[in-house]
Amino acid sequence: MITKVSHVSLFVTDQQKAYDFYVTTLGFKVNTDVTMENGFRWLTVTPPEQPDLEIAIITPLADGAMGYDDETRNAFRVLLAKGALGAGVLYTPDCRATYEELIAKGVKFKGEPKEQFYGIEAIITDGVGNWFSMTQPTGR
Amino acid sequence: MPIAPDVYKKIVMAKLYMDDNFYESIDLDRISREACLSRYHFHRLFTRIYRRTPHQYLTRKRVEQARQWLAGNDLSVSEICNNVGFESIGSFSVLFKKEIGFAPQYYRNQAWLKKQQALQQPRSFIPHCFIEQLRIDG
Repeated sequence: MITKVSHVSLFVTDQQKAYDFYVTTLGFKVNTDVTMENGFRWLTVTPPEQPDLEIAIITPLADGAMGYDDETRNAFRVLLAKGALGAGVLYTPDCRATYEELIAKGVKFKGEPKEQFYGIEAIITDGVGNWFSMTQPTGR
Repeated sequence: MPIAPDVYKKIVMAKLYMDDNFYESIDLDRISREACLSRYHFHRLFTRIYRRTPHQYLTRKRVEQARQWLAGNDLSVSEICNNVGFESIGSFSVLFKKEIGFAPQYYRNQAWLKKQQALQQPRSFIPHCFIEQLRIDG
C-alpha cells in the first residue's frame, strides 16, 4: 500500500536561481544541500508547512555531473526554455494576498488570480523552466 | 465578504514590513495606522488572510530565522535570541521547542552533526534510486 509521496524531482535550468526562487522568495525550507565528489549537487527543499515532501531540484543541463547523453540534455533544454513543464499545484490559503506579495517581490505570473470552480487560481512561473498553479481551494 | 484589492495591498505591505523588520519591537498600532486601518480591522483581516494572528506570525518568523542561524552561524544561543527580537531566553527556548520540536542548543548540535556528515559522506543523503536512475555517479 502506497500512502504518501515523499520525494519528487523538479528539473530546472539553473539550480542556484531555483534556490533563490524557492527558498528566498517562496520561503521553502532547505532539507538537504550536499555536493558529491564529482560536483553533483543534491538539493532538496520542502514546502514551508509540508516537511515530509522533499522536492529534489535538479539541473539536467550541466555537463559531466549527470549521465545524460547530449540528446537527452538537449531535449530537457528545449522543454525548460519553452517553460513547457507544468510541475503541479501549490496550495495557498489566500491566492490574492500571495499574488500581491509575490508580485511585489518580482515574481512573474501568467495572469491575475481568477475564480475557477475549484477555487481561486493564478499561474506562477519559477523563472527556471516550470509553471505551477497557485490555488486557494474553494471552501477553505 | 470579499476584501477590496486596495485593502489586500495594505495588509500584504504590512506583512512584508514585518518580514523585513521582525527583529525589532513591532508596534501593531503603528502598522495598523500606516495601513490606514483600525487595530481591530487590521488584526481581523491579517488573521483571515494568513490564518494566524499578527503576533503568532511574528513569533513564527522569529523562530524560523533563529532556526536558520542556529544551523548556520557561530553566534551564541542568547545572541541569536536577542538578534531575532526575543527579549527573554526563557520564552525563546519555550517557543522554539514548541515550533521546532527541540530545544535550541539540541537543534544546533543536530544541525552541526548533519553538516559534518554532509561534508564527509554526501552520498549518504541521496536515495540510491536517484544515483542510479540519474546516473550521477558518472
